Amino acid sequence: MSTTALSPALAGKRVLICVGSGGVGKTTAAAALALRASVDGRSSLVCTIDPARRLANSLGLTALGNAETPVPATALEPLGVHPRAPLYAMMLDMKQTWDELITRVASPEQRERILSNRFYQSLSTALAGSQEYISMEKLWELRRSSNYELIVLDTPPTAHALDFLDAPNRVLDFLDNDAAKWLLTPALKAGKLGMSLFNRGGYVMRGLARFTGTEMLQELSNFMLAISSLNEGFRERARGVRQLLEDPSTGFVLVTSPHPERMDEAIHFHKMLKQHRMEVVSLVVNRVHPMPTEALWADAATLTPSRRAKVEETLREQHIMAEQDHTGIAQLQAACPGVPIIQVPRFAMDVHDISALWRTGRYLVGDETLG
Amino acid sequence: MAGLLDKRLWIVSGKGGVGKSTVAAALALRSARAGKRTLVCEVNTQERVSRFLERPEAGPEVAQLEQNLWAVNVRPQEAMREYGLMVLRFETFYKTVFENRLVRQFLRFIPSLQELVLLGKIMFHLQEKLPDGRWRFDTVIMDAPATGHAISFLSVPQVLIQTVPPGPMAREAQKMRDLLVDPAVTAAVLVALPEEMPVNEALELHAALRDKVSLRTHAAVLNQSFPERFTEADLEALGGHPELLAVAQAHHDRAAQAVLAGTKLERNLHAPVYPVPRLFTPEFGRKAIEQVMEHLEPLVTGAA
Ligand SMILES: Nc1ncnc2c1ncn2[C@@H]1O[C@H](COP(=O)(O)OP(=O)(O)OP(=O)(O)O)[C@@H](O)[C@H]1O
Ligand SMILES: Nc1ncnc2c1ncn2[C@@H]1O[C@H](COP(=O)(O)OP(=O)(O)OP(=O)(O)O)[C@@H](O)[C@H]1O
Ligand SMILES: [Mg+2]
Ligand SMILES: [Mg+2]
Repeated sequence: MSTTALSPALAGKRVLICVGSGGVGKTTAAAALALRASVDGRSSLVCTIDPARRLANSLGLTALGNAETPVPATALEPLGVHPRAPLYAMMLDMKQTWDELITRVASPEQRERILSNRFYQSLSTALAGSQEYISMEKLWELRRSSNYELIVLDTPPTAHALDFLDAPNRVLDFLDNDAAKWLLTPALKAGKLGMSLFNRGGYVMRGLARFTGTEMLQELSNFMLAISSLNEGFRERARGVRQLLEDPSTGFVLVTSPHPERMDEAIHFHKMLKQHRMEVVSLVVNRVHPMPTEALWADAATLTPSRRAKVEETLREQHIMAEQDHTGIAQLQAACPGVPIIQVPRFAMDVHDISALWRTGRYLVGDETLG
Repeated sequence: MAGLLDKRLWIVSGKGGVGKSTVAAALALRSARAGKRTLVCEVNTQERVSRFLERPEAGPEVAQLEQNLWAVNVRPQEAMREYGLMVLRFETFYKTVFENRLVRQFLRFIPSLQELVLLGKIMFHLQEKLPDGRWRFDTVIMDAPATGHAISFLSVPQVLIQTVPPGPMAREAQKMRDLLVDPAVTAAVLVALPEEMPVNEALELHAALRDKVSLRTHAAVLNQSFPERFTEADLEALGGHPELLAVAQAHHDRAAQAVLAGTKLERNLHAPVYPVPRLFTPEFGRKAIEQVMEHLEPLVTGAA
């Protein structure tokens, strides 16, 4: 039996992070990996951000919340295997996790000012990379405070790889706003914001106010000042997050569709991960169409003419799809030399129960291979 | 049923990868061929439409692709500059204000400002007039971001109206919202694949656009559908060929899935659903887009 690069990773890594574009199969891969690790004997947690809740169903849970929940052994019965270590799952609630983070780093009176600010909610969701950041931050927290042998993190669909990798920097940048201080600190101390708008940056500030309105400028500045006081607490944590991502016990699993038209996204993501010195354990090409074999064509030739035509038409279509996928995979291999590629076939049905997750896992570790 | 040609702003959205840009490109081509001056807008992304039509990249400035057809990839930096210039009117003033490092840093954190200027640029082109008083563009097609992002993108005007104190930003938002919610102007086209998640996302998107943006779904496109091919009798006859049966069964299942998906969309969206078949072309370029366009004919003209 062959094994893949994910096989030793499942046995040795402490953290695996599934990344990739929207809809490629990140959540499926993350759940399949955690399931496999627990069956093979390592206590595992899959931390998903999938709001569709069907991961919960396929793991035999009625709901998944922001807390770690054990997956009942009965859910695994259909597999005919006995997990040698426990499996846990949780679904990250972005807003709640942000609130918890603010609560952790802010003093009680700052906390109220921030959480009740009307800009807070839109900032915690709208700032580019804030979702990505909060999921990594949660990972760091879990890694510090829990004893799982393996944590598999599922990530939000990321349109731009940089939103993900730059997230810690962006969040720090955000807190570190000289702008708010430069513009407002003295005036705030004096309790006369209006004054500063005209004294200090004068001309510049009048222009800006024309753009945003004065009131908006004031309110936003107050918020920025409140949040910039959290700087130290955040800075330390963000450093921790970055270290965790670069740690040798952490690995990335980059999931992609085989489609040649979409391969540039995966290639770009891979390049960015490399640049940021993060280890890509494996590229997973998901939903690959297998090439119809010669035997199939020969068999089809024995059918009655009308059935033969229908079957051959279908085989021709499969052939084209398999060829397209093959082109895509070849492009990927050429662009990412030396990185192992694992192929998972497109199953006839969605992956929505524990058996399908298990089957996906078998391809991921190389118990089964394509073609 | 009114066709898209009666509307001026066509918004195309759906789950990532389902074929939004494909549909936007096909619709743009069709609108241009109907003699409408057409602008297709992609939103801060890897440009696809120009590539599908086998034309040079449009980039962040409006560029003509062919007769009656223009394209633009709306990007935040350029859109912000145009918006800034419009508000401040003088280039030097703009530079002093906006090219100040601290100001730039500050602007980045105004919630939704980026989305506002991106949407603002599209809405600006929708209202732009030629010297003779006609619209510069008869049809504006927005190849909108994928579901989650599309919802936040399109609800920016509404959110700003609610959160931002009265001022220039709020006024701008109000203007945009009025156009977005006007069913005589705007039509939303949701794209899905015959699979569970893309269909569910289309339903979510539909509900969110209705509740948060007051935008009605005009129609859905069920892309990459498999037509029915094998009858039950065919499948039975293949009983002695287990491997071929699997091939036929998989095709049969996909076709059945397409029927189910179509029904589910129709029932929940209360809007017509237009299937586009999965095409089997080695290259997915202009020829493929023209084929997609033919399947969308009834959507565009409103003919039954
Ligand atoms: N190999 C496969 N064969 C068939 N269906 C699959 C396969 N892998 C995943 N799917 C299905 O594809 C859909 C998308 O998968 P999944 O939710 O894991 O993607 P994702 O990358 O997490 O998506 P998102 O970016 O939206 O979070 C699901 O319905 C899943 O069941
Ligand atoms: N009807 C079809 N038949 C075959 N292939 C198709 C069809 N429609 C789309 N495709 C393929 O799917 C790919 C993705 O389509 P497209 O880029 O339009 O999706 P999208 O929804 O715009 O993606 P994104 O979310 O990344 O913007 C295309 O490059 C094309 O190869
Ligand atoms: Mg997911
Ligand atoms: Mg697109």
